[in-house]
Amino acid sequence: MLLQMKGVEKRFGGVTALRQGDLEIRAGEVHLVMGENGAGKSTMMKIIAGMQKRDGGAMIWQGQTVDFENPKQAAQMGIAMVHQESLLAPHLSVAENIFLGREIPGPLGTVNRRKMLAEAARLIAQYGFRLQADWMVGRLSPAGKQLVEICRAIQNGTSLLIFDEPTSSLSEAETHEVFRIVRELRERGTGVIYITHRMEELRSVGDRVTILRDGATVHTEALATLTRDRMIQYMVGRAVNSIYSREPLPPGEPLLTVTGVSTPSLLRHVSLTLRAGEIVGLGGLMGAGRTELCRAIFGLDPVSSGSVEVAGRPLALRNPREAVAAGVALIPEDRQRTGLARDLPIGWNVTLANLDAVSPGGVIRHPEEERVTREAIDRLRIRCENGRQRAGRLSGGNQQKVVISKWVNRGARVFLFDEPTRGIDVGAKVEVFAVMDELARQGAAILMVSSELPELLQVADRILVMSQGHLVGELPRGCSQEDIMRLATAPPESGDLLQ
Amino acid sequence: MIKRLLPFLALLTLFVTLSIASPSFLTSQNLSSVVRQTAVFNTLALGMTLIIISGGIDLSVGSIVALGGLGGTMAMAKGVPIPLGVLLGIATGLLCGLLNGILITQLRIIPFIVTLGMMGVLRGFALIISDGMPVHDVPKGFQFLGEGTVFGFPFVLVVLIACAALVHFILEHTRLGRYVFAIGSNAEAAVYAGIPVNFHTVAIYALCGGLAGLAGLIEASRLSTGQPTAGQGYELQAIAAVVIGGGSLRGGEGTVIGTLVGGFIMGLLANGSDLLGINPYVQQALIGAMIIVFVAVDEFRKRRVPS
Repeated sequence: MLLQMKGVEKRFGGVTALRQGDLEIRAGEVHLVMGENGAGKSTMMKIIAGMQKRDGGAMIWQGQTVDFENPKQAAQMGIAMVHQESLLAPHLSVAENIFLGREIPGPLGTVNRRKMLAEAARLIAQYGFRLQADWMVGRLSPAGKQLVEICRAIQNGTSLLIFDEPTSSLSEAETHEVFRIVRELRERGTGVIYITHRMEELRSVGDRVTILRDGATVHTEALATLTRDRMIQYMVGRAVNSIYSREPLPPGEPLLTVTGVSTPSLLRHVSLTLRAGEIVGLGGLMGAGRTELCRAIFGLDPVSSGSVEVAGRPLALRNPREAVAAGVALIPEDRQRTGLARDLPIGWNVTLANLDAVSPGGVIRHPEEERVTREAIDRLRIRCENGRQRAGRLSGGNQQKVVISKWVNRGARVFLFDEPTRGIDVGAKVEVFAVMDELARQGAAILMVSSELPELLQVADRILVMSQGHLVGELPRGCSQEDIMRLATAPPESGDLLQ
Repeated sequence: MIKRLLPFLALLTLFVTLSIASPSFLTSQNLSSVVRQTAVFNTLALGMTLIIISGGIDLSVGSIVALGGLGGTMAMAKGVPIPLGVLLGIATGLLCGLLNGILITQLRIIPFIVTLGMMGVLRGFALIISDGMPVHDVPKGFQFLGEGTVFGFPFVLVVLIACAALVHFILEHTRLGRYVFAIGSNAEAAVYAGIPVNFHTVAIYALCGGLAGLAGLIEASRLSTGQPTAGQGYELQAIAAVVIGGGSLRGGEGTVIGTLVGGFIMGLLANGSDLLGINPYVQQALIGAMIIVFVAVDEFRKRRVPS
């Protein structure tokens, strides 16, 4: 037995991220860790890799209890992690990144650049990566960065390697490349933990699977005997078909018309129409241009050609202000960074996009603002102490409701939801869907970007699919995940790692 | 709650300690002189509060003090009536601040760099227009601004309270103030919410510049000369007052009351050291150390109580 985690706990402030984390890893096995967003997978991995300290429970590494103060200690014991989000220094070369923090010393405290380049080149060649040791990391595509992360992790006598969703940004060919590496590691007796949302692709490499839900380990089983349906049941904690289902409405008049929109960077002649009362899904792989489309419509990115009309009136597409004034709302993918003012009270967030309504003549009417805030809290069922509480203290789902309430309060009619359920727990997801459904019933048109195919299938009235900046197709309600994936992977990738 | 309390308690402790330690502290003459001495950078600190809450910084206010004072006194020396001269001084500062704001938003350079550059540009400009010479030819009545008394209180205290009330009202009760918090807390979210971020940024730099112009006039009035070298290093004192009073250089946090308390803490430290005969070299070190202590305690508190 390589690693045992027993009843591991981790709290952040008042939020419990992990309350009963159990995991056993054997040498030479590929162990999948699955669970919904917020189930505690990443937290548990960070504890194993020494990036966070546990608040309770036991961690036994090769027979003895260990407490890692930092990732370096974990690395010395032979534990390394390939991160989901790139933790690389963009201004340094591939070789310098691989050896970051453990540079090969030269004479007099200098760094032996030549040897590092040679070592890195040897490592790259050994695994057959399409990388060069002297390339600048900042110029690599996400996939290229991922390979550098992998090089970093496997370079010295690693006995346990953790992959945190390594293939989410990779193409088909690159994914197989990662699998090849995983197999090779397993044959050498290395333990591999693999976090993924896409179980099917790992049937071929995985040995066992452990499933987490709401911060606790709920099940461990050999992958060969665990069916997909049972797995999902463990993940969500109830029967699959009861998660969410929506009764679509007959669509009304067109509210958003996008005609031939292209951007200098990615989008190519994208056209679509959203009608009042519709929830339209937008699927595709990472980097297909879904977020970019939302940003272009909202006036955040420059558009090289094409036009956007809201309820028949053209948008100038110069800045978000015009989009907001026309009744467009963007619920951004990255809630923490772009959606929410975390340090400000809930109420201030609610009124932020429509402050004029409670501040005639520029002076804020506080009682009026409080009334609007209370209404928003009631209407979206935001769970909080009161409207003066800091928005950042709420749970992910409630933070998302605050972001949505900002636009409801503005009276927006076209909603662009970019990954609306990212990082929020299962219960809150259903509530967010209910809010979207309610908005649609009140005549809003909704575009919902999601990488989680089951969500698209359950919530959307029809599904548009993008690939490499093109809108490649439309699927009706009742299509399958495979239909979406087939469209999403349609045009062959160029395979260039350099952007 | 404790956050707002801490600077208050420090000020109170300082006040009581000095009252006991020095018989000459609790006299109207001494307290008036504290108010007069701190008036200039307290006025600067009010404008700086807005800027710092918005997540910015203005290093050029010390130079604006010189230029505002010169603008006013040079006009008065040419026979312009005192109230008009004062308005001209304030307008000079306002224009400088406007320029700061426009450069920051249009060139998209961070405020630190823009105002660092402007600190030099405006100082140079003050020296050029005055040929490096102070303006002595100031009407007698102008001294009332810095040295006058109404109902036994220094007139500058009235001016300071009026400015503080104005800035407090802006911050807590107007759309502009709300946007200042929003921009400082999360500028990107503010853009996403459709807020005209550039317009409001320019507005607060202009406001801060106007207050710095007024501070320059107070300084000129107290010295009864317009000095092209006035206000050097004042920007740092203003920043210190805001920070001691609970403002965060990361933006999104700060209050007018806190800033004033911070300003008076620094004023009392200087005054108390004088009264107790502490060597001015030690004084400098002491005040510097206080800044670090206050912010350290504040950070410690934030880390203990999860946001």
